[in-house]
Amino acid sequence: MQEQTDTINSLEWLFDIFRSIDVGVVIVEKDYSVKTWNSFMVNHSGVSSQDVINKNLFNAFPELPDAWLKRKIDSVFMLNTRSFITWEQHPYVFKFRSYRPITGTAEYMFQNVTLIPLHSTDGAVTHAGLVVYDVTDVAVSQIKLKSANQLLGKLSRTDKLTQLYNRGYWEESLDIEFERSKRSSQISTLVMFDIDHFKNVNDTYGHQAGDEVIRNASRTLLNNLRKTDVAGRYGGEEFAIILTNTEAHTALYFAERLRKKIESQIVAHDGVEIRYTISLGVAELSPEMDNHQQWIEAADSALYESKHAGRNRSEIYSKKTL
Amino acid sequence: MTTPVLICDDSSFARKQMARALPEKWDIKVSLAGGGEECLEMLAQGKGELLFLDLNMPGLDGYGVLQAIRERDLPTMVIVVSGDVQPEAHQRVKALGAMEFIKKPVSIEHVQDVLNQYGLYLESDVIHQRISVEVDIWDGYREVTNVAMGRAADLLARVLGNFVKMPIPHINMIDMVDLQMVVKEVEGNDTISAVCQGFIGSGIAGEALLIFKEQSFDDMASLMKMEGEIGEAKQLELLMDLSNILIGAFLKAISEQLEFDFSMGHPNVLGRHLSMHELMGEAAKKWNSSLAIEMGYVIENKNISCDLLILFTEDSIPALENRVSSMIG
Repeated sequence: MQEQTDTINSLEWLFDIFRSIDVGVVIVEKDYSVKTWNSFMVNHSGVSSQDVINKNLFNAFPELPDAWLKRKIDSVFMLNTRSFITWEQHPYVFKFRSYRPITGTAEYMFQNVTLIPLHSTDGAVTHAGLVVYDVTDVAVSQIKLKSANQLLGKLSRTDKLTQLYNRGYWEESLDIEFERSKRSSQISTLVMFDIDHFKNVNDTYGHQAGDEVIRNASRTLLNNLRKTDVAGRYGGEEFAIILTNTEAHTALYFAERLRKKIESQIVAHDGVEIRYTISLGVAELSPEMDNHQQWIEAADSALYESKHAGRNRSEIYSKKTL
Repeated sequence: MTTPVLICDDSSFARKQMARALPEKWDIKVSLAGGGEECLEMLAQGKGELLFLDLNMPGLDGYGVLQAIRERDLPTMVIVVSGDVQPEAHQRVKALGAMEFIKKPVSIEHVQDVLNQYGLYLESDVIHQRISVEVDIWDGYREVTNVAMGRAADLLARVLGNFVKMPIPHINMIDMVDLQMVVKEVEGNDTISAVCQGFIGSGIAGEALLIFKEQSFDDMASLMKMEGEIGEAKQLELLMDLSNILIGAFLKAISEQLEFDFSMGHPNVLGRHLSMHELMGEAAKKWNSSLAIEMGYVIENKNISCDLLILFTEDSIPALENRVSSMIG
């Protein structure tokens, strides 16, 4: 007797919780007729359970994305596995107002939905359950976080003077490229260059003229990049470019083209015309390199070789130059 | 007369499971082969009038063995025992001359049915000598994984209407540092999309990570009969469909075999609003290493491939070990 009362009680408790829980529960048959519609759904949709039970879900809610949602429900019946819909796919499945109509920022409720296969006693899938979660707060804060992060990320990645990547971010990218190339045995090449006799420019025309030359060099560089190349300002007047999927010989063409372009530039500053040149070093990633630092050293030593051989030229790194 | 029976499987765990599923009162002599080449040698020596053959093995696989049996005209009857439950796999082995197909994990009842059906089993007074098999726990993990992978591949094949090549899974302990390297690579590469989903229950917890190469989207969309240009929204749709199938089916098959119940969190799409880096955050630092299952799925004749990575926390390992060892008694 006691046992029976307990069972009845606990069923009632379950039912109470099911009614007051802040999660939507809908159960549909294969033909999309609604079998269960809990209080969350009643309150948010304004449609009572009498009005929807045994009716076709899509007739009762014509604004539902029907072809899409039908496909999701069908796949639960066919595959007999749970299926998840995230707010990132569709901000909402049911068009409900947000819970904070006055103080909130979102007009509609962002939803995650889980679809669950429900079985009869013989194990066949006869119904599908839709569990609707309100994720408005999470979604709103993630969207805000994303835009804030994008701004921060952009600020901390770019060099102010040149708008190229700054050294920190560029080196991180080089590290990633180093690991990627090693793993996939792809060939990538690093090009480094610096402005010849830059100290003279500064000393003769002043620091502002020097900045102008650096800006000119980076603009010329940016105009000659492919979409996949990653260029950064490595030091004061030193620049570096990662050329992915590129061999040293191809990279040399790039280097020479850039060198000639820069040779033909005229920088006008305070009524004077300044001409300048650059020296370049080219280093293909080789299997002996253990880390991205060694890759930089290789390109740097080729650059040194160019300087040594008279400047305004490009050299490819070979082992003996080290 | 004693019938020589050969069991060929690369997994010691699966060999043991198969040997245990054979009827006791049967006059047979059981031998074991750990790979395709060894299997052919033993067949040539007459050790397998009846052969239970696994399909997915490194080196010479089950398909290769069937082919060689036919070419060399070896006298044996072959019953294929595999976790690859795609109807297409079934048809392929039958076309290669296999007599029957038994799904893994093998059950005593099913094996008996098949043996009866072909009149192979005659109850005898002789109780055959149980063969002892040394079992490695890693083989156990691999076997449970194989079965789960097969179920997932079958669902995927049904949805796509295309044969899915069963991968050989890699199972090992990985360092958190290595995992972070993988993550860094995914992030540095905008041609990769990923979904991450957590699960927990019965003392076992972990995360599933599905990594999908964007170049696969077009072929995937055409198989799913999705029309129009494949923009970001449709890519996300495909990614979620794929993760629902692969992660869902895989975990379900694991939980059924190990008899544990678990809850699944909602999937997180990486790289859209959350970076993996942010997602891993501090939590990843709590663990030194993790038990990782890596599988690369490839769709036959299409430019589609994706990697499924299942990571179990360090403290789940005792529970996992327990459940896997109890499967073979």
